[in-house]
Amino acid sequence: MTSPVPTTKITSRVHPLMVFALVIGLLALYPIVFGSFMNFGISTLLLGGLALSWDIVGGWTGQNSLGHAALVGIGAYTMTLLAEALHLSPFFGTIAGMMLAALVAWGWGSLTFRLRGSYFTLSSIAVAEIIRLIVLNESWLTNGAEGKSLSTFDLPDFLYERKPEYYLVLGFVALVLLFGHYLKFSKLGFYLKAVREDEESAMALGVNPAKAKLIAFAISAAFTALGGSLYAIYLQAFEPDTFLLTATSIQIALLAIIGGRGTIYGPLVGSFVLAIPSEFFRSQLQEANLLVYGILIVVVILYLPKGVMGTLEHWFYKKNHLLDKGNL
Amino acid sequence: MEIVSQGLQSIIDGLLTGGVYAMIGVGLSLIFGVMKVINFGHGEFVILGMYSAFFAFSALGIDPFVSILFIAPLAYGLGFLIHRLVLSKLLGANQQSTQLATLGTGLIISNLLLLKFGAQPQSFYNESSSNTWSVHLGTLELRITIIRFVAVLLTAVLIFALNYVLYRTELGRAIRATAQNRLGAELQGVDTRKIYAVVFGTGVTLAVAAGVLLLPILSTATLTMNTTFTNKAFIVTVLGGLGSIPGAILGGLILGVVESLGSSILPLIPALGNHFGSNYRDAYGLLIFLLVLLFKPEGLFGRTVKRV
Repeated sequence: MTSPVPTTKITSRVHPLMVFALVIGLLALYPIVFGSFMNFGISTLLLGGLALSWDIVGGWTGQNSLGHAALVGIGAYTMTLLAEALHLSPFFGTIAGMMLAALVAWGWGSLTFRLRGSYFTLSSIAVAEIIRLIVLNESWLTNGAEGKSLSTFDLPDFLYERKPEYYLVLGFVALVLLFGHYLKFSKLGFYLKAVREDEESAMALGVNPAKAKLIAFAISAAFTALGGSLYAIYLQAFEPDTFLLTATSIQIALLAIIGGRGTIYGPLVGSFVLAIPSEFFRSQLQEANLLVYGILIVVVILYLPKGVMGTLEHWFYKKNHLLDKGNL
Repeated sequence: MEIVSQGLQSIIDGLLTGGVYAMIGVGLSLIFGVMKVINFGHGEFVILGMYSAFFAFSALGIDPFVSILFIAPLAYGLGFLIHRLVLSKLLGANQQSTQLATLGTGLIISNLLLLKFGAQPQSFYNESSSNTWSVHLGTLELRITIIRFVAVLLTAVLIFALNYVLYRTELGRAIRATAQNRLGAELQGVDTRKIYAVVFGTGVTLAVAAGVLLLPILSTATLTMNTTFTNKAFIVTVLGGLGSIPGAILGGLILGVVESLGSSILPLIPALGNHFGSNYRDAYGLLIFLLVLLFKPEGLFGRTVKRV
């Protein structure tokens, strides 16, 4: 994979957190402007947040996981089951889910990160599929194929309303975006990028690739589980196949790849780029909504290999660079 | 005694199903061996085969064992076209991009099928589907489902044909040369782009043909099976070592037997209760897949087998 183009020329003029504030501010206005399209807003943001979480391990660290659906499921199920069995509030249930997901990812990664490239991707599909089969078959715990409903126990009232749900999801997106900003300039971020570009060279420079990948995977997993429990709250009822199919993993990964890996905002942009045509053709496509994903990923791979955001950044950089040299 | 007869029966069933799995795996392995790319849309081509056979049967009344004769060449054309239009543009790019492109084409295929046929399972019924032969071994009676047997026979024919092409023809020599060293082959005057397209077409044909043969065996086609089949293809190829054709055949047989034994023998073991059985059918293969990936990523028969 090619490294994202350095954007110091732009960032030196505009503080990165101003971009962040602007993006979150605009998204915060959405319920006021498009109050009647709340479901579209929430699901797009939620998928964007999941893609941003995926990007920590998939984009920044270059480990293409196709098993993130399992982590979404862990978040959703942990929160729901704890609320049902122990009457634990969704807040603590979500934190428990995030911790469990991070723990699972740690174990999962310690086993499979010795595999490189495509082999890791294959193993991630297999692990996630095994988790799906366990959830599907261990009905005593998960209620099997029938799934779970959140209506059987009392949640705080505001969790049943679309607007508070939207702002919760926006908070989730903001949190992951902030972490992306942190990665851009932190030591951890450079470690991850070094591992992505060349593991041997990274090791020669004193980076422990195994540990860097595990940290990235665990953090990515915790954020993904957070998204998962918000997803459960948004849907109110879910089955194993709502979250756990490989299709969900593919969907999350493709959003990030189409939007632009390792570019902070790319996965969120990808979510909107895909949501709009999907919504537009909803009545024609119905269940075949992943058709749009298939077509766009082929187009992006052929014509915008850095993804939408990566290409834009490249274009901005080139323009600025030329201006500075007085060539334009 | 029950365990023994049940076990033997399961092994036979497993070998028969495994033969068809082997064909899925051989296609994937051939593509990987030559192009060094994992076809992430392989399962979708299997589904495409099942639905084409279903369509030929329900709309035109043609039996899958006949329709395979014209579905297979069409599949070859499709694979060739996908390579020409998409994958050949990515020859200079890294392996990952090509794999994402195969994932994308797979998604396009499965979702187009979803648009045409809908998500509900399509059931296929043919009177001959349930015919069996009985074989007596002392006191044991073993049943062999005829269509499974025919499917395995056809698989064997196709794999022998492939082997003949690979090892006895000029085209096969060019394919093997490209697999060994693309630049070297190019310098010898091999049109490697064309070889890639031929190989991708052949791999797709094998996957589609496997799908056609699986329709009467499974007697139902569902679109959500695409990931199951992609997983099976991965399992089969990784078991025998990615890129190795004999490995894929053995991998297919092993997967078939493991699945079949896991779902029929585990429930008979009292200590496990009724907990594990056919409900975990797909998990047994995945578990072995993970173990092989972790401890012997070059495959169970790595090094000792000839690479394509």
